Amino acid sequence: MTGRRSSQLRVAEELARRGRLSAAVAACYEALAIDDRDPFVHALLGHLMLEGDFYDEAIEASTRSIELDPGCSPAYLALGLAYDRRGGMWDQSVLVWHELAEVVPDLVTAHVQLGEAFAAAGFEQEAVDSWRRALELDPKHSRAQYNLAIAALKREGMSTALPTIRKAGELDPSQDELFFALLGLPAARIEFDAAQVKPERGARLAAAGMLLRREDFFAASDLVGLLLGENPADADALALAAYAYLKQEAANEAMACALRALTYSADLPMALYTLGVVYSRFPGLARHAARVFIALAKAAPQHSLTHVLLAESLLGLQRYGQAKQAYRAAVRLDPACVRARFGLAAVRLTEGAYAEAQWEIRRAAYYDTRRQGTFWSLYDAYAGEADA
Amino acid sequence: MAEGKAQKKPTARKPAAASEPVEYAVTRNPDFPVGVDYYPLDEERRSWRDWYDRDVASDFAAMAASRVSDVRVFVSWRAFEPQVGQYDEDAAERLERIVEAARAHDLKLIVCFFADDRLAEMNEVPWGKGRDPRTDDYLIQREISLVQRVVNRYRAEPVIKAWDLGNEAFCAGFTTEAALEKWVTELREAVREVDPDRPVLVGTDPETLLRETGVDPRGAIDLTERAWSHLTAPYRAYIAEGPVTSGPATYTDSFLLRAALRGLPVVVDGVGVHALDVSAAEEAAYVRTALYSALMNRASGVMLRRWGDLETEKREPYFRDPFEVLVGVVDVTGAPKPTLAEVKRFVAVAARLDPRRYALAPERAAVVVPAERYEPLPSLAGLYDPRACLQAYIAAKEAHVPVTVAREGDPLGGYHVLYLPSPAKLTPLMWADLGAFVQGGGSVVLSYGGDDVDPALREIFGVEFNGDGGPRQAFSCRIAQPGVLGDLRSFDVRMELSHHALITPSGATVVATDATGSPLLTVNQYGQGKAVFIAAPVERAIAQNDPWATPTPVRHLVRTVYGTVAGAAGAGALLECDMPEAEIAHFLGEDDDILLVLSHNAEKMTVTLTTPRTVATVQDVRGGAPAEVGGRTFGVPLGPNGVAALRVKFG
Repeated sequence: MTGRRSSQLRVAEELARRGRLSAAVAACYEALAIDDRDPFVHALLGHLMLEGDFYDEAIEASTRSIELDPGCSPAYLALGLAYDRRGGMWDQSVLVWHELAEVVPDLVTAHVQLGEAFAAAGFEQEAVDSWRRALELDPKHSRAQYNLAIAALKREGMSTALPTIRKAGELDPSQDELFFALLGLPAARIEFDAAQVKPERGARLAAAGMLLRREDFFAASDLVGLLLGENPADADALALAAYAYLKQEAANEAMACALRALTYSADLPMALYTLGVVYSRFPGLARHAARVFIALAKAAPQHSLTHVLLAESLLGLQRYGQAKQAYRAAVRLDPACVRARFGLAAVRLTEGAYAEAQWEIRRAAYYDTRRQGTFWSLYDAYAGEADA
Repeated sequence: MAEGKAQKKPTARKPAAASEPVEYAVTRNPDFPVGVDYYPLDEERRSWRDWYDRDVASDFAAMAASRVSDVRVFVSWRAFEPQVGQYDEDAAERLERIVEAARAHDLKLIVCFFADDRLAEMNEVPWGKGRDPRTDDYLIQREISLVQRVVNRYRAEPVIKAWDLGNEAFCAGFTTEAALEKWVTELREAVREVDPDRPVLVGTDPETLLRETGVDPRGAIDLTERAWSHLTAPYRAYIAEGPVTSGPATYTDSFLLRAALRGLPVVVDGVGVHALDVSAAEEAAYVRTALYSALMNRASGVMLRRWGDLETEKREPYFRDPFEVLVGVVDVTGAPKPTLAEVKRFVAVAARLDPRRYALAPERAAVVVPAERYEPLPSLAGLYDPRACLQAYIAAKEAHVPVTVAREGDPLGGYHVLYLPSPAKLTPLMWADLGAFVQGGGSVVLSYGGDDVDPALREIFGVEFNGDGGPRQAFSCRIAQPGVLGDLRSFDVRMELSHHALITPSGATVVATDATGSPLLTVNQYGQGKAVFIAAPVERAIAQNDPWATPTPVRHLVRTVYGTVAGAAGAGALLECDMPEAEIAHFLGEDDDILLVLSHNAEKMTVTLTTPRTVATVQDVRGGAPAEVGGRTFGVPLGPNGVAALRVKFG
C-alpha cells in the first residue's frame, strides 16, 4: 500500500466528493502521470467511472488497483458493482464480493451484493444464505429482506413472499417521512423548544409534527391536545393524533382518530395515510386498505410512496396488473425508490418476465448502494490505514 | 365519413370490391436480403480440423425454406494452409461443398476471410509463431496469397455475393487506424487483382469498434464498397443495458445503422440477443424490432447473428461464453426457435417493399454527433456523447420526425433541422457552420453540455452565457411563453442534472424557465432560421439517469421541442400519430403508400394515425381484404412490440 497520496490525488478526491466528475477524472489522469502504480488513483478512477455508468472503464481501473494492492477494499466495491451493473458477469461478480467479504467481514453491502450475484447466476440457496448473513449483521437491512421476499416468491409464490415484503416495507424509514411530507414539514430537521411554540394553529401543527418525527410523543400530544381543545373538529390535529397512536401500536385508536379526521376532511392525505397503514396491518382489511390508498394516491399523486403503498395493498389482493401500474407510477416519480423497484420486480416475476424483474433488482441495488455512500467510507478507512 | 369519427381498426375490415387485384406471395426481396452467419463448428468438443465438416446441405435447405437468402461463411486459414505455402485440398473441397449447397438452394454467400469465432482457431496458423496476423508483413503476404487463391477459384461463381476481409472480433485486434487501413488496403487490392467486380467489405461497425478498441475504423470502411452495422454485447452493456423489449434497447440497432450510413450501403449484422435471461418470446420480439428497424431506417439488408446453437460441453458451467453460442435461430437439434418464425414473417413483408415503387420519405433532420466523441480519456465526452445522441435520436423518433445521424464536420446542406444533444464543446468551424446553417433558414436545437461555450452562442442563440450553475438534483420547468414551442407544460421532477447554464436573454425569447426564473428554454430568430437553446444537458441526463424510467414530463418536453422545431422547418412528421412509442416509416409510392408502424412498447396498444389526405383504404401489405376508411384518421392495433405493414390508398 502506498503510504502517501499525491496532491493531484487529493485534488481528485475533493472534486469527486463534490460530484465534479469530469474534473475529477482529469485530476486522476494527472496523478497517474506522476505515479501510475498508485492503487488509490486507480480505485478512485474506478469509482468515478462507475458514477458515470461506464462499466468497462470502471472494471479496468478497479482491477488495476487490486493488482497493485490486493487489500484495496474500495476497489473491490467498485469492481463488484461494475460487474453487477454491467450484467452478464455474475461469475466474476461472485468472486469479487467473496473477496470483499473477506477483506471487510462486517460490510453488510458485500453480503447483500454477493447474494444478488448468486441469485442472478442461479444459485438460489447460496443467495439466501448470503442475505441471512447480511441480516445477522444488520437486522434492519431492508434490501436483504426484499431479496429474501423475491427468493420466497420464486420458490413458493406470492403468498409466502408477501409477509416478507410487508416486513421490509416496515423497515423503510422513508414511509414515516411521507407522513411528514404530507403534513408539509421541510425535509431538514429543525431544533426548537416545545415550550416556546407560538399559540397559533399553524405553529402548533408544525411543532407537533416535528415532535412526532423525533418520536417525542408526550410533547406532541400536549400540542395536539391544545389544538383539539380549541377546535375538536380540527382534521389535521386528529390526523396527527392518529399517527401518534399508530407509532405506539394502538391501531384501534389510530383508526378511530383517522376516521374522525376524514369525516371532517374527506380527502385529507395524512388521515388517509394513517388509516391505510392501519388497515394494511390486518390481512382481513386488505380490500379496505387498497381503497384508502387509492384515495391517498389521488390526493397526493406527487409522492412516489403513495403509489407504492397502493401497489403493495393491491399485491395483497392479487391484482398484479394494477399493482404494476402503481409501482411504475412510483418509479417514474422517483427512479431511486428501492421499495418500488423490488415491488415491480415481484410483479414482473408473477408475469414470468424474468429479465425485467432482474433489471428492476439491479436498479434497486444501484440506487441503494449509491445512497449509502459505501465507497467513501471504505476509501477513507483504507486511506487511514495507509496514513497510519 | 366525418373527420375524427373515421377511426376504423384494420381488424374490422369490410370486404373489398370484387375487382381488387389478388397479390401472390413473393418469397424474398433481392433488394433487402435477410442473411445469417453460419459458423464452422456446431459442437464445442470439435476442433479446428472439423471446419464445416458437417451436413451443410441440410442446413442450407432449412435456410432456404426459411426464406433466408444470404449466408456468411468463414474461411479457416489454419485449415487451408496448415503449413507455409501448402494448401489443404480437403479444406478446399469443403468450401466447394458449401458453394455447391448454396447453388442448389439459391443462396448467396458472403465469404469472410479472417474471422475470430473464439472456437475454431481459424487464424492460428501454427507456423505463424505468435506473430500478429494484422501487422506482420510476412503473415500479411501469406494472407494475400490465401485470399487470392480463394477468390481466383470462385471469381466467376455467381453464388458468391461479396468478400468480407475480416469480422469485428478479428479487427478488434488492431491498435491503430493506420494499421487497420494498411491491412484493408492490401487485402482489398489483393481481391481486386483477381475479382474486379464483387464488393469487398470489412465487417466492423464504426461505432462499436471505436468503443471497444479506441480505433476509428471509418477510414478503413471507406476503402470498401459495403458498410456493416453491428451491435455487440459490450456496446449494449454500455449504451442500453436494460430490458431488450422496451426503452432505448429497441432503438439501438437503428441508431447504429443510422450512424453507419455514410454513403455506402449498410447491412445490419448480428441481429439477435446478447443475453440469455430473456424468454424465447422476448428474444423473438427483440429480433422483430431489430429486423423492422433495419427496414425502416435505410438498411440494405440484415444478417442474423447465428444460424444454429453450438452444442456446449456439459463438464463445466460457463466454460464457453453462453452469449456467443446459444443465440442461434435453430437449436442444437436443428429445431426452429420462435425467432425463426419472426424472420419468415419479416421476409414476407420485406418482399412487398419494392424500392423501385416505394421510396422512404427523406430525412431532413439529423442528430449531430460532436467531434469530441472521438477524444480519448480523460475527456469523458467520448463516453457521454453516444448515449446523449441515442436519447436525442429516440426523442426525434418519438416525435415521429424522419431523422438520421450526422457528424460534426459533415456537410449540413441537406438538412433543415439539427439536434446537438449536450455537447461539452464544438469546434470553431462547427460554430461557423451552425451560424451559416441557421442564417440560411435551418433550425438548430442545442442543449448545454457543461464547460464554457463559444461566444457565437450569443450571436446565434441570442443568449448571454454567465457560467455553469453546477449539478442539480431536481429538474423544474415553468412555461413562460405557451405555444411558442408546442404544447409544453410546467413540471417539477426528481432528476439529476450534471450542469445548468446560467443565461440571460440577449435577443432570444424565453419560452420556459427553471423554478428560480433562470431561462431554461429559449428560441432565437437568426437570419432566416431558428436557434433553440436548452440550458441543461437534458438528453445526457435522460441517458445517465434510468432511461427506462425517465419522468414522463421530461420526455414530453424534449420530443415536443424536437417535433415542433422540425414541423416548423418542414422536416417534421408526414402524418400525426398519438403514440410516441410507435415508430413510423412512410414509404411513398405513386398509387399508394406503405406505412410500417413499429411498437417500441412491450405492451399492446392502439395507434391512431391522422394523414393530411383522405384515406380510401388500408390493407396489410401481404394481402387480404382492404379496410375502407373514408377519412383522415384510422386506428392501428399493435401487440407487444408489434408491427403493422399497411398499404394505404388515398382518395
